[in-house]
Amino acid sequence: MDHKLEKILARVQKPGRYVGGEYNAVVKDRAAVDCRFAFCFPDTYEIGMSNLGLRILYGVINEMDGVWCERVFAPWGDMEEAMRSEGLPLYALESGDPVKDFDFIGFSLGYELAYTNVLNLLDLAGLPLRAADRPDLTPIVVAGGTAMYDPEPIAPFVDIVSLGEGEDVTVEMIQLYRKAKKEGWSKAAFLRQAAQIPGLYVPSLYDVKYHDDGTVAAVTPREGAPAVVTKRIVTDMNQSYYPAKTIVPSTEVTQDRVMLELFRGCIRGCRFCQAGYVYRPVRGRDCDLLVKQGIEACQDSGYQDMTLMSLSSSDYPDLLPLCDGLLEWCQPRKVSLALPSLRADNFSMGLMEKLQAGGRKSGLTFAPEAGSQRLRDAINKNVTEEDLLASCRTAFEGGWSSVKLYFMLGLPTETDEDVLGIADLANKVYYTWKTYSTNRSRGIRITVSTSCFVPKSHTPFQWEAQNTMEEYLRKVTLLREHMRNKSITYNWHDPETSFLEAALSRGDRRLADVLETAWRNGAKFDSWSEYFRLQTWLDAFAACGLDPAFYANRERGKDEVLPWSMISDGVKTSYLWKERETAYEGKITPDCRVKCTGCGANKLCEGGVCRV
Amino acid sequence: MSDQRILFRKTGTAKYISHLDLMHTMERAFLRAGISIRHTQGYHPHPYVSIPLPLPLGFSSDCEILEFGLVEGSTIETLPAQMNRALPSGIEVLDCYDGGLAFKKLTFVRYDITLEFETEQAEEAAADFKALMGRESFVVQKRSKKAKSGFTEVDIIPLVEAVEEVRSDGVFLYLTLLLKAQNPGLNPDVLLQGFRSEYPGLNVIYTACHRREILDDNKAIYR
Repeated sequence: MDHKLEKILARVQKPGRYVGGEYNAVVKDRAAVDCRFAFCFPDTYEIGMSNLGLRILYGVINEMDGVWCERVFAPWGDMEEAMRSEGLPLYALESGDPVKDFDFIGFSLGYELAYTNVLNLLDLAGLPLRAADRPDLTPIVVAGGTAMYDPEPIAPFVDIVSLGEGEDVTVEMIQLYRKAKKEGWSKAAFLRQAAQIPGLYVPSLYDVKYHDDGTVAAVTPREGAPAVVTKRIVTDMNQSYYPAKTIVPSTEVTQDRVMLELFRGCIRGCRFCQAGYVYRPVRGRDCDLLVKQGIEACQDSGYQDMTLMSLSSSDYPDLLPLCDGLLEWCQPRKVSLALPSLRADNFSMGLMEKLQAGGRKSGLTFAPEAGSQRLRDAINKNVTEEDLLASCRTAFEGGWSSVKLYFMLGLPTETDEDVLGIADLANKVYYTWKTYSTNRSRGIRITVSTSCFVPKSHTPFQWEAQNTMEEYLRKVTLLREHMRNKSITYNWHDPETSFLEAALSRGDRRLADVLETAWRNGAKFDSWSEYFRLQTWLDAFAACGLDPAFYANRERGKDEVLPWSMISDGVKTSYLWKERETAYEGKITPDCRVKCTGCGANKLCEGGVCRV
Repeated sequence: MSDQRILFRKTGTAKYISHLDLMHTMERAFLRAGISIRHTQGYHPHPYVSIPLPLPLGFSSDCEILEFGLVEGSTIETLPAQMNRALPSGIEVLDCYDGGLAFKKLTFVRYDITLEFETEQAEEAAADFKALMGRESFVVQKRSKKAKSGFTEVDIIPLVEAVEEVRSDGVFLYLTLLLKAQNPGLNPDVLLQGFRSEYPGLNVIYTACHRREILDDNKAIYR
């Protein structure tokens, strides 16, 4: 290990996250590779190592001969300070080599509040922030992840944006680069060719013009770049890469367990949910394959916990046989199985009993999202009060005594009546417990949490205004006044980060200046309360002559050119608009298994047919 | 049937695995290696792994011991190789054996300590260190979870069994010390902090502590 690094590590918190060396970390011979890929996760090691996408792409890239993928995470403040004062540039964990010498620097961006960390990492690597100031072929800075469905705020800093699932397109991009490197292409020539690969968006090949009112006038592609870039997907999940053999951190991380991915996409179509749209169409893995992969992953890692992952696990058609198949192996070996993301409408007591056999009963969590049936219909969250109360009744009869309920405030069409519906629903859960609990002496804990709705791109609510922070807090106060039951605890999420998230998630390219200004004034780790300061951002917006409310709190017109109009997830914009109108009519849209409503994502599948 | 022990080395990147994380790492390594080990009895059974003398974070060691109970999937002869394929970089199992001396017999630890100075102060520091060790008593403040003030006083001198080597070389000072292991033991960091505050003119920029050997009450190798 580098002696300078050893000296630094002696004085920072949790040094284990800065050294690599974990079981299954991939170390290749520098002389045997011609392409080095630094996979950067712009958050801490503990968060980044909990990300399944990182583990998949790390495995996929390292399976390529001649290519070495390594990991980079954002150093915490004490480490960053020590690195800067000792002059130690950002390095990759596997080799310890400086990131600036890599061929690719790839960022995984799942949330907008990580943007400042991207700038911070580029700076720590010793690279110019703006793509235009990095004229050479090496390094190429690429970004992917869910936040990239509106990549515009970060666009001037990256060379390429990879849209959708990266298993195939990353390999194609790397192969093109190796050819370019071998043949000595210029960066411009490489980017022109990269823009021809489906799923790769090259921001520098698009000119954006604005109206005087700040809305986008036109987005014009240049040099043969496509007018619309459509995301990539893995069409057959049974054939896709699963990281059964994956890094096992030697220090504790947030998700320290086997993550078994049941399916991608979601049949439900909740209108507020970006994931429900951008991961379309739904594609599952076969039950037998999952059992095999789950067992392999446990055996290779030594993990004693497994989580079944998906956007809505109770919608997996073979959930019971899958759990049976896994439990048959897990139970005698004392491996525990966790099943989050269950819906309140098809909660199965039998299943819960099975999963928790012998263990302590953990709390139950449901997300009705809205307090009234009218609003739940408007957002297409097809959960009825009867469903929820019936599930609670089953749980209370089975001895559970703790329920968490998650809601959003500020959803489109929301009235004060809907807000008070949350208190009403919580009370009904309480009375359900009073009536059906098998052990009332233990009491009941009902926790109600609200967050501030953030309208996201590529959803039917992408045109909506977010509630102002004042309006959200007014609703919080209203709700608090109506939650007087001692068994009910009410927590509300602070609206400041939601406001910033709303401004960034539907932003245009002009926000790059705001990002850079905020970063220069100290913004980083914005998703961490230790670091987040809204004032830094308000100052940055003001310094750039922009108004965050223009992005967060303004309703867009049907004909407005949206800043992300060159990006497609396969779902037609006309479909989103129709869904928006259906929301305002308070009508629901059936899920994909009941009836195909023609969103357009089927075109991404082979033969143009979804296999739901 | 008696329990088993492994003797292992912890160096390189593994220095930064804390005691608690090391226990988890070992439990997982046993599972990865296909070795089943004894679980504790009781309401929440868990795999039994026990380390008699936890190694402070950042220290390296050639002589760590972990006790466990081998149930099946290996033998004491094949276990080291099996485990070494399942362990992270920097942890290496050197030996596996039945039984072993009682934990309370672990009495002394031989540490190799390196101090690095900003300038060529090692020679001066060597003299200072010897002088300090020659005192009758040297009381330092030590952080304590039990004491109300958060600190407790400890006399270092009786806890240093022997100063086996003091060698200076430019900016480096090398010490080999035999320290009491437990009841009470002495963490060399406490000694070094006391030394540094006693001689504030010495500008130490880095220290490294390495456990070379552990000994029983007769100063024979402890296993």
